[in-house]
Amino acid sequence: MKPMKSCRDITRLVLEGEVRQLSLAERVQVRLHMWICAACPRFQRQVRFMRQAMGTWKAYAEGDDTSRG
Amino acid sequence: MSDFPARVEALRQPLLRFARAQLRNDAWAEDAVSDTLLAALEKPQAFGGQSQLKTWLVGILKHKVIDQLRRHTREATVLSRDDDEDLDEQLFAPDGHWRQMPQDWGDPEGQLRQRQFFEVLEACVTQLPPTQGRVFMMREWLELSGDEICKELAISSTNLWVLLHRARLRLRDCLQDRWFSAPGATP
Repeated sequence: MKPMKSCRDITRLVLEGEVRQLSLAERVQVRLHMWICAACPRFQRQVRFMRQAMGTWKAYAEGDDTSRG
Repeated sequence: MSDFPARVEALRQPLLRFARAQLRNDAWAEDAVSDTLLAALEKPQAFGGQSQLKTWLVGILKHKVIDQLRRHTREATVLSRDDDEDLDEQLFAPDGHWRQMPQDWGDPEGQLRQRQFFEVLEACVTQLPPTQGRVFMMREWLELSGDEICKELAISSTNLWVLLHRARLRLRDCLQDRWFSAPGATP
């Protein structure tokens, strides 16, 4: 078993997961870390929130201009 | 169909706003929009009327935006000095722990119903250093894969990851400051 990753490493993996498919080993590391950490799960939810927000904004910008200028 | 040119022209401003958000350069955005309007006016029959006119034009515009990025690759990927700031250093202690606990942002559904949230989001995206902003929008709005972005901009995947990493950390910071910690914030 490799040494535990730090929050800094896990944050990097969470963000890379937005661009590329993480390897199985990386996903396991992220999962394990999320079990024992209070801060990183919050960060992960913030990243998801931003993805969702960008999607909603994009839908506004591309579609009906009565919804928003 | 005789009012078609007027209806197309009326959408110039929203299209420009869309193109500026992605390209971060007014001249390129103007060109992308002009190319789009021309393409639309040359082939009005291609607009079937089954989708909204704006949606159809945005579909064309996305291709024109990529054309512009391709044409200006070298300038589009210049790193500004504030791209170098070590954001990780500010967030993490030397032992790799968070200096400060990330805040619970609450329920996205509730936030995303608020119009003001999107004004803040747009302001925050606009504040990203240009190259970070471009790759971020290529990913989020043009929905290009990492490989496609690397190819269009002729950058390595490591460069891309670093740019997107910084863009997201900056965006997070900005949303935290200007929305979640702002006086009268709702979460």
